[in-house]
Amino acid sequence: MEQPKVGEEMRKMPVEPLLPVEKKLIVGSLVLGFVLLVILIFWTRSLPTGAG
Amino acid sequence: MNPTAKGISEDWLSVWIGLLVFVLALGMLAGTDVLGWVVTTSVWTDLSQALNPVSKAYSALGGVGALVATYVALLVVMTAGAAALKADLARFALGFTAVFWIGYLSWIAGSYANFAVTTPADMQRFGITWSLKLTNEGGFILALAAGLVVGNFFPRFAAWMKEAVRPELYIKTAIVLLGGFLGIIAATQPVLAKDVMLRGFAAIIEAYLIYWAVVYFVARKWFGFSREWAAPLASGISICGVSAAIATGGAIRARPIVPIMVASLVVIFAVVELLVLPFAANAFLSHEPMVAAAWMGLAVKTDGAAVASGAIAESLILASNAAEGVNYVKGWILGTATTVKVFIDIFIGIWAFVLAYIWTNHIEVRAAGDKAKIGEIWERFPKFIIGYVLTFLVVLLLAYGAQPATTAKVRAAMGEANTFRVIFFIMTFFTIGVMSNFRKLWEEGIGKLAAVYVVCLFGFVIWVGLVISWVFFGGVKPPLAAS
Repeated sequence: MEQPKVGEEMRKMPVEPLLPVEKKLIVGSLVLGFVLLVILIFWTRSLPTGAG
Repeated sequence: MNPTAKGISEDWLSVWIGLLVFVLALGMLAGTDVLGWVVTTSVWTDLSQALNPVSKAYSALGGVGALVATYVALLVVMTAGAAALKADLARFALGFTAVFWIGYLSWIAGSYANFAVTTPADMQRFGITWSLKLTNEGGFILALAAGLVVGNFFPRFAAWMKEAVRPELYIKTAIVLLGGFLGIIAATQPVLAKDVMLRGFAAIIEAYLIYWAVVYFVARKWFGFSREWAAPLASGISICGVSAAIATGGAIRARPIVPIMVASLVVIFAVVELLVLPFAANAFLSHEPMVAAAWMGLAVKTDGAAVASGAIAESLILASNAAEGVNYVKGWILGTATTVKVFIDIFIGIWAFVLAYIWTNHIEVRAAGDKAKIGEIWERFPKFIIGYVLTFLVVLLLAYGAQPATTAKVRAAMGEANTFRVIFFIMTFFTIGVMSNFRKLWEEGIGKLAAVYVVCLFGFVIWVGLVISWVFFGGVKPPLAAS
């Protein structure tokens, strides 16, 4: 069974620069997330609340 | 036992066990009280008064009789379930016995008046001068503490009961049962229930699109993690510790050790969150109960710890408000925390598919036959959610707009099912504790992983979760209980 020393692997981990597709994933997620949140805020504010 | 034998998943098993209890509880609609013998615990100073069967129809059993009946019934059902999982039955039965009794004894201890009583009137009634005011759900904390003691100081005992240390199975079964309990609550306040669900969508956006991107960036750029480690870590911290880390690990073809280490880390931090956040929510958000509820669902990772935090936050916040003369209906805080967490879980399969698509097409380009397949979405879909939605909808249909007599019967049936839900919660707390071996994890060298977790969790997950919860749930209040 595989039993690597995780700590040692962490120290020796080679640097992998961010690829353009990773950058796109990060930025795209954040932009889409903020846009959807703003839409949802307006949508929920436009509805009457059922709070008791 | 054949070590290579593969039974059904814990996910499906939780659906079947939850539905079995649910259907038996609904026998009340036909005038048959099938589950009234299940044990329930009251706040006590005299131990002989602590335990009772949940239904008066079974009062002849007595408290201890009800406790033994509950243990035997659960042992039979859960061992049958273990057979379906192809687990070692003898070890499971022995382990389950330990899990049930240690867990339930912790629960009984937590209901001791000096721990549980919350109001001056009740202190007078029990003849006590002080109380920790933990409510009787402080028993969850005691069960967790008992589990932590076993997991960290009695590793051989923990290993002996390992076959029954299945917090995911217990919490998923509890969530299936919770669906029915929340259904009856939603039936009485359908507009508010719909409102909570709509606002719950914010959780999905936050977990997948904001948390994930930031954690992945931090892990890759600031801590220099490889993609193999960063992606499961981002999913574990952002979405849902165990299942999301494993789904992501599978999606990007990480080595098995990677999601296992990440999931272990998430469980440890979930325990810390569970011990801190509900009390912080009570201290700072007791006048915004739904904000506190959503915060638990957003900030606490792992289904077990998130829903459990909702339960503790609810009991603390309801007690705080009751002390000020404001009595909210029970169930809304727990229900909102659960809704938020379940909404997040629903998309694990889709997210894993998206990552698999990106990895196999753009990062580690693979041959056509080895690329992401649409069927993986269903494979990774958390099946217990089907049970949760089913029990919720059945109860909603039965109780919404029904005659008061029918609604009362459904409510009573769900009350009995909910008593089982509490017992599954107790076993979840205990087994989460047993699994949290801090020393072992530290020895394996997870310092750098833990550093990412600390930075992300305390740097923004908790605070962004609080802001989003405030934006979407601020001013939304649970209904007031009829006086």
